Amino acid sequence: MTRDDVVEVLLGCLSVLAQEEPDRFKLDLSEETILFGYDAGLDSLGLVMLLLSVEEALHARHGVSVPLMDERALSQRHSPFRTVRTLTDYIIANFG
Amino acid sequence: MPIGWLLDRMASWEDVEAVIWRAEPVSYEQLLGRARQWRVRLAEDGVGEGHIVALEGGLSPDICALLIALIQHRAVIVPLGPVSDRNRFDFLQIAQGQHVYAFDAGGAVKVSHRPCSPPTGLLRELIARGEPGLVLFTSGSSGNPKAVVHSLERLLWKFQKPRARLRTAGLFRLDHIAGFDSIFYALSSGGTLIVVENYQPDEMCRAIEHHAANHLTATPTFLRLLLGSGACWRHDLSSLQLVTYGSEVMPEATLHVLRKAMPNARFIQKYGLTELGSPRSRSKDSDSAWIKIVDGDFEARVVNGTLQIRTRSSMLGYLNAPDPFTADGWFDTGDAVETDGEYIRILGRKSEVINVGGEKVYPAEVENVLLEMPNVKDVIVRGEPNQILGNIVSAAVSVLEPETAESLGSRMRKFCKGRLARYKIPVKVEVVTDAQYGDRFKKQRAQKG
Repeated sequence: MTRDDVVEVLLGCLSVLAQEEPDRFKLDLSEETILFGYDAGLDSLGLVMLLLSVEEALHARHGVSVPLMDERALSQRHSPFRTVRTLTDYIIANFG
Repeated sequence: MPIGWLLDRMASWEDVEAVIWRAEPVSYEQLLGRARQWRVRLAEDGVGEGHIVALEGGLSPDICALLIALIQHRAVIVPLGPVSDRNRFDFLQIAQGQHVYAFDAGGAVKVSHRPCSPPTGLLRELIARGEPGLVLFTSGSSGNPKAVVHSLERLLWKFQKPRARLRTAGLFRLDHIAGFDSIFYALSSGGTLIVVENYQPDEMCRAIEHHAANHLTATPTFLRLLLGSGACWRHDLSSLQLVTYGSEVMPEATLHVLRKAMPNARFIQKYGLTELGSPRSRSKDSDSAWIKIVDGDFEARVVNGTLQIRTRSSMLGYLNAPDPFTADGWFDTGDAVETDGEYIRILGRKSEVINVGGEKVYPAEVENVLLEMPNVKDVIVRGEPNQILGNIVSAAVSVLEPETAESLGSRMRKFCKGRLARYKIPVKVEVVTDAQYGDRFKKQRAQKG
């Protein structure tokens, strides 16, 4: 699983979310897209929906089990959920 | 003599059909005759007054007669459902059972005796008062089954007032308060019990049609099976005037379709608990989940959104759990309700509430919506722990035609939009092949942990 694979999965899941709830998510999709936190695109429920679908897609496409909502992910000094880039970095660093 | 009033009344109905079992009707006269034979047999078997007697087997005229004989005998009756051997042993221990009458499918009985010390606690008090008793086990969807002790003198009191004579089709589980209630409702009003022995929807519909039942008693899950299997369209159910259902929340979508299948029937939701019996209730209208308790022997109040009930027919207490009554005798049902004047609507068990980031979600409400979706046969909604939101809503769906979880999830989100608040829409969807029913046809909704 390469970095590009992860970015592709993330952006794919984000665009599905944005299509399903166009009035809620106005996301310009790139690695710099802000996911969560101050001036975030997603609320906490949206974040959970995104993370669940990313977990499922990574498992389905790359056969890897990537728990994104566990103690480790939540206790990082710098939240991995800030942007597409930070989440990708987190996934590659821990499961790549 | 306990239930003297009931025996007198039953005797007056002579050749009225009391029980129809395996297509054979048995009259009240025959039933009472059989009960007299049982009294002789009980004495021969060494079953004394006030003994604790377990019963195994589905309802038949013979078991029905034995029930009557045991009540006359001031026995404490412990009906055992189809439980595992281990549960059976535990239940007998807890209920301090001294004799076991086990009926096989052919109706033959095997009697066994268990060495026991003299009864203790609530059972001793009950027996000392010379009252016949009943021990039922709660289904234990949350934790261990609790053994509920009733005085049959108290529980059957409400049937002294004669009610409408009905021909009632049902499964009549003896180990379930609703079954017990239905049996004595019929016997105390000259009604007829049309016994269906298994959970096959076509069997039930055939029995209704063949024996012209005008009343059906069932669980919402079984009613949904009648629909799902198509059985209710293959038979003439026009004789049905009344359908009573209970023990879980009825999805409103199901109720709408059922009314089409059973056009002459009124639908009434019964509210009953093993600990209390079932009060008489009235539905706001046939399509409504709003009910009003109209039973003079039952008082209801709502405290912090939870229903509390006080009644003289309530249990004496549990054999294996602390006394649950408030100091002034109210029983906390644990059921969350909404109120509208005198009407209440059961939202679900308070213990089943899913807390999603501080918002409350009742599984039944979500299930009701999902059941309206195309290609959904049945669904169980429950909470799953989640590090971010505390809990998330997850749905296990059994489908009619094969479908991937991904496609179902996507359809579900679209379907639920506008029908459910966003936080109530399941974020996790799983397709299951077999619906997870409990042995009482109640949903098994234990939280994943």
